[in-house]
Amino acid sequence: MDRRTFFVKSIGVSALAGSYLTFGKQRDLLASVAPPAPFDLVAVRGGEADVMFQKGIEALGGIGAFVKKGQKVVIKPNVGWDVLPERGGNTNPKLVTEIIKQCLNAGAKDVYVFDHTCDSWQRCYKNSGIEAAVKDAGGKMAPGHTENYYHEVSVPKGKVLKSTKEHELVLEADVFINVPILKHHGSARVTASLKNLMGNVWDRGFWHGNDLHQCIADFGTYRKPTLNVVDAYYVMKRNGPRGVSVEDVVTMKAQLLSTDMVAIDTAAVKLYGADPKDIRHIQIAAEQGVGRSDLENLNIKRITV
Amino acid sequence: MQSLKKIRVVVAIVVFVLAAAVFLDFTGHVPPVLTTVLGSLQLVPAFAKLFTGLTIASFGFLFVVLLTVAFGRVYCSTICPLGTLQDIVIRLSGRMRRRRWYRHKAAPAAIHYALLAASAILVVVGSMALVDLLEPFSNFGRILTNLGDPVLVSLNNATAFIFGRLGIFGLYQVPLLHTQIVVVFLTLVFLGVLVYLSYEHGRLFCNLLCPAGALLSIISRISVFKIAIVEERCTNCGFCEMVCKANCVDAESRTIDFNACVGCYNCIDACPTAALKFEGLGTKKEAVKPVAVDKPRRAFFGAVIATASTLIFSRNTDDKGQGPRVLSYDESRGTPVTPPGARDQKRFSNLCTACHLCISVCPPQVLSPSLFEYGFAGIMQPRMNYNVAYCNYDCVLCTQVCPSGALLPLDTAAKKEVQLGRASFVKDDCIVITKKKDCGACSEHCPTKAVKMVPFEGKLMLPELNNEICVGCGACEHACPTTPRKAIYVVANTVHQKAKKPPVQKLENPLESQKDFPF
Repeated sequence: MDRRTFFVKSIGVSALAGSYLTFGKQRDLLASVAPPAPFDLVAVRGGEADVMFQKGIEALGGIGAFVKKGQKVVIKPNVGWDVLPERGGNTNPKLVTEIIKQCLNAGAKDVYVFDHTCDSWQRCYKNSGIEAAVKDAGGKMAPGHTENYYHEVSVPKGKVLKSTKEHELVLEADVFINVPILKHHGSARVTASLKNLMGNVWDRGFWHGNDLHQCIADFGTYRKPTLNVVDAYYVMKRNGPRGVSVEDVVTMKAQLLSTDMVAIDTAAVKLYGADPKDIRHIQIAAEQGVGRSDLENLNIKRITV
Repeated sequence: MQSLKKIRVVVAIVVFVLAAAVFLDFTGHVPPVLTTVLGSLQLVPAFAKLFTGLTIASFGFLFVVLLTVAFGRVYCSTICPLGTLQDIVIRLSGRMRRRRWYRHKAAPAAIHYALLAASAILVVVGSMALVDLLEPFSNFGRILTNLGDPVLVSLNNATAFIFGRLGIFGLYQVPLLHTQIVVVFLTLVFLGVLVYLSYEHGRLFCNLLCPAGALLSIISRISVFKIAIVEERCTNCGFCEMVCKANCVDAESRTIDFNACVGCYNCIDACPTAALKFEGLGTKKEAVKPVAVDKPRRAFFGAVIATASTLIFSRNTDDKGQGPRVLSYDESRGTPVTPPGARDQKRFSNLCTACHLCISVCPPQVLSPSLFEYGFAGIMQPRMNYNVAYCNYDCVLCTQVCPSGALLPLDTAAKKEVQLGRASFVKDDCIVITKKKDCGACSEHCPTKAVKMVPFEGKLMLPELNNEICVGCGACEHACPTTPRKAIYVVANTVHQKAKKPPVQKLENPLESQKDFPF
């Protein structure tokens, strides 16, 4: 699905019907890309972010199981805040570099990285270390700070969030890798992969004003990322999501990988030290069929580096 | 001597291009040192900055004064970007080609000096209105920020859109959050007047309305070197008068009204017999037409001295102004939040020439031109507009570029302790109360956690304010999704207060205690 067909479709037919068709197909395409993973969830502890990813992705059959030659990959880390990496506000740049390198090695045509930041976007890109990491690895850092980059899509399974504006890169991606950082969150309690997707959309005010947890879960039904990687190297334990100082952060040296956002978030919340039952958006997402929260019945690979 | 014009043109173009780059750059690539140096050389802002103490701008001001004392109003044709803008219009008017020669006219000095005196008196009584409206650098800045920027950004966005379709993201979309339509209109009106004056009357603006021109005109009365016509070489051809866009050369009487001369050196360049040249004090003094000291000038000197002394004394008599108090959302809209480094709304408003440089460099574009929020006295001065963005906690750019000292430089650490205003929370308007659903957008964005979420009715979380550590950045207000009134908003501190540092406590590191997987 290239850009032109996407635009022609969404403009030609009614916008909602058009985008529904488009994404219905895209999901099938993605499903065919990802083979059944040997594990539902991989958890890694004790290494540097890049090393943990190498071990983790290996357990999932290597990056080749997710990225095929010539594909367009979009990586969505958390780059929401104008803070340095050790503040734990943004995804670890080392992890982003490693993922991009592996994608390119697997033959990806292009690897794009973006976020709809909260603080000034250029300062976030720079001070998070993500922009440099992306350039280092041969990826492309893309902007997401104005409404022009976002296009209306419908969320057919959404209960409150029926439609939203999604970043065009994600709309066009063959492979979408969701790379949140695990941290405390004043509104969502704990943020990981489901909440990270809020950076894919334009109007976040609507989410906040209309039952945040329900909207997060609703958007989880919209599209399943090809892969989720939860960065829990530095973990902010309070004052999230922005944090006030490095004293809010613990060095956990952990990482989770899964294609299931509910499973990975459930595990992430446990790792963080909270009870997943208290995090309403994860519960709703599980009920709406976004993924499974019954970790005890999942095939989990645990790796200590 | 013939090459003087060429040098002038080159210097003017260089300064003009750099000044335009400073205002138009939305990528953050123009080095701040360039902005500082350029701003320091601008007469009126640098003069204002003298009252904030000795800075690099003091040397800039001194340089301009000494330059004028030596060679007259060189400033007007080189350092002043608005002068060069007029020269561009004059050039485009094709005046010379169409043989619409300039004729000598006595400079309207009385009106010019009276305007300067009026501006100065208004400053003394606390209004920058006339200075804001007439000062050349500020007008140049406003033209570029409010007219040039939207045009350039639109072109950029169109190009970025096309490139984006091709998957190239080197160019990116730029929002225009700080553009205020009424200010755009006012700027257009000024530009219209300026273009008309320069198209029809050359540099009349500089000799009629410009306060910098008036100040320099006074200084140029004592210039050591002045342009004069060497009687024995002059053939009375009149070329010098024809090309003088300041209308200050009288070929017939072979005199030059040097106070009105903007230092373009067109006359020197045009003279076929090289009869025009700079002459030092004492030599050929009779060739320079003496200009009588008239009454407006005396009045002016009095006004300047009065202004200067009043400003100096008024520095120590800053009244404390209105302290933080709780205002309703609508009431709070009446008092603008001043940018970091302003310290005190009154001090700020008395120094700001509304050049909009801070507005043009602000990364989140939270700085917007006001209209009458500071009263007519502070027309078009910048304010924080939390409707469109919020102040980035670690950013200090505006404080570092201000050429007039209205915003005093702050480093990041110092800025974090400045409280521009205080958040005010109206619980009954909050989503958590009205819809009984979690929100927390305010707390999420708060850089100090002055707004923090506390348990409320079962599993909900409600914002709670600790105003001691609030910096008034507006992140909470900007993020708050309630309409039409925000449930949390910043009430301006007319005198900036000191924000307490957010409390920091150690956390235990669970890396040791929790090596295993809790699932």
